[in-house]
Amino acid sequence: MGSSVVGAEAAALISRIHEETSWSLGRRIRHAFVSVVARAYPRVIGAAREPSWLFFDLVFPILGMCSIVFLLRSRGVDEAWIASTILATALLSFWISVVWMMGAQFHWERDSGNLLLYITAPVGLGAIALGMAIGGALGVVIRAVIITVAGVLLFGAKYQVADPFLLALVILAGVAAMYSLGVCLSSVFLISGREADHLGSLLNEPMQLLGGVYAPVRSMGTVGVVALGILPLAPAIDALRQVAVPQLAATGILPVGVELLILLVMTIVFGVIGRVLLAHIERVGRAGGKLLARAD
Amino acid sequence: MRPFGPLRGGAADAARSLVASARLAWAIEGNWAQPVYLAAFLIVRPLAFLGLFLAVLSIGGSLNVATIGFVVIGQAVFQIVSAALEGPTHALLDDRERYRTIRYIFATPSSLLPVSIGRSLVKASIAGFSALVVIGAGMLLGVPMRAGGPDLLLFAAVLPLGLLSVVGLGIVLGGLCVQLRNDAWSYPEAVSSTVFLLCGAIFPLEVLPGPVQNIAAALPITWWIEGLRRALLGTTSPGILGTMPTNELLLILAVGTAVIWLISPRLFVAGIDRAREKGQLDQNTAS
Repeated sequence: MGSSVVGAEAAALISRIHEETSWSLGRRIRHAFVSVVARAYPRVIGAAREPSWLFFDLVFPILGMCSIVFLLRSRGVDEAWIASTILATALLSFWISVVWMMGAQFHWERDSGNLLLYITAPVGLGAIALGMAIGGALGVVIRAVIITVAGVLLFGAKYQVADPFLLALVILAGVAAMYSLGVCLSSVFLISGREADHLGSLLNEPMQLLGGVYAPVRSMGTVGVVALGILPLAPAIDALRQVAVPQLAATGILPVGVELLILLVMTIVFGVIGRVLLAHIERVGRAGGKLLARAD
Repeated sequence: MRPFGPLRGGAADAARSLVASARLAWAIEGNWAQPVYLAAFLIVRPLAFLGLFLAVLSIGGSLNVATIGFVVIGQAVFQIVSAALEGPTHALLDDRERYRTIRYIFATPSSLLPVSIGRSLVKASIAGFSALVVIGAGMLLGVPMRAGGPDLLLFAAVLPLGLLSVVGLGIVLGGLCVQLRNDAWSYPEAVSSTVFLLCGAIFPLEVLPGPVQNIAAALPITWWIEGLRRALLGTTSPGILGTMPTNELLLILAVGTAVIWLISPRLFVAGIDRAREKGQLDQNTAS
């Protein structure tokens, strides 16, 4: 027969339960912040502990960059395009991280069993997604820098950055918009089955083409203009090209200020849509019992 | 006859294993989505690749159809190269890491060598569909194909030789990667990307630095792509590739393929045996 809790003891217990479960706004923010930092940590520190990851994160983009540079050289184009290709490859490393380490991550976590831990931990999927985004972006920065330096050393590219602050702003806005889109993609991947890997592949080369990564988006005509409004890669690389390679400024489709604004709007819109989608899929997945079901 | 190991039994056993693994590969590769989505995937990605390269080429001014033809055939054939090079490793790793069935395959009378080849050939065949799509797109762009149709004799000689050489290199990679833990999936892709850079698929070899050109010329894949360009377009490529007489090209391809097949099964068997001795053959590395 168990003992019952009555009187002052019961009131204290109720008060304690209330205190522990009804968090103030400040405590919720602190908790979300700690969750974000906790998820970002392995992305930055863990990734640095595995040299082979760094090697492959660098070797694929650099080989792709070399192919494009040799293709350009076979046509004898202005060396400014080589400089642009190197920058595009560096920016692309963020996009690849968005697709595979952001979009596909929950899908992989589900198949490897880690999603179960996320779901049972007192942490929202939104905070985990934000942590993945921030940690992923910070982890890719070093890779992007190495790719740029390697490109400059291999191909002798030259840059004329008149306004480093504007350059930093363009990169920051581009990366933020891409990772916001990554939160949306993570929802799509989470409901994907075996097609997830193929979906990831479809988000690479076709998006590089639509985003005008290596050739100006202007050459895509109307499709390129539409891409500027929905695909963060397009305004980001277009603005980057105008700011860092002034010889190619005339190829820009919109002024840099407008493209920065587009990227800001994308960051907010994709972030909100991603948050709503993630919560919806989590709710529906729990109700249907499919949230943790393996794809294969 | 070896009682155990990656190569055992007679030719009939090997053929049975190859057919069974090919059917399995088709079930894995061909039914992950509705046929319409599968077709869309096989069409969209290679066309995007082609569009990307043509967009880059167009930076240097308007394109002539000969340049487009060079890139179209190179890009189309490389779809198959990439699938065949990566196929055996991905098949072995899929069975080890994802489906966790490699120990059961090993326990059957099947041999891993024909199983890997069967899986690789199906991947290459599916990539062949993408290659046809790319060539079709090239024809729509006005690429002039060989007058009077493809040179069927040359095509029939070059296609199997090249395919065999790529599958041979693929199984060497498979035997190597099954011994690795970290990033075993990434090595075939790294090799494939390097070969793409070297084999003159989208630009002439002369653009590469001098010593690298020699490496490129030593790759059978380089001559495979050039042979198929000659069979389908009826023209030779610019530069070094175009200076090689067709009969010499065939000889290089045949000798290269023979050397690869002399070595590759042995390396594959040695790789599988070593992985087995070290307990890595069925070790799930969660990679």
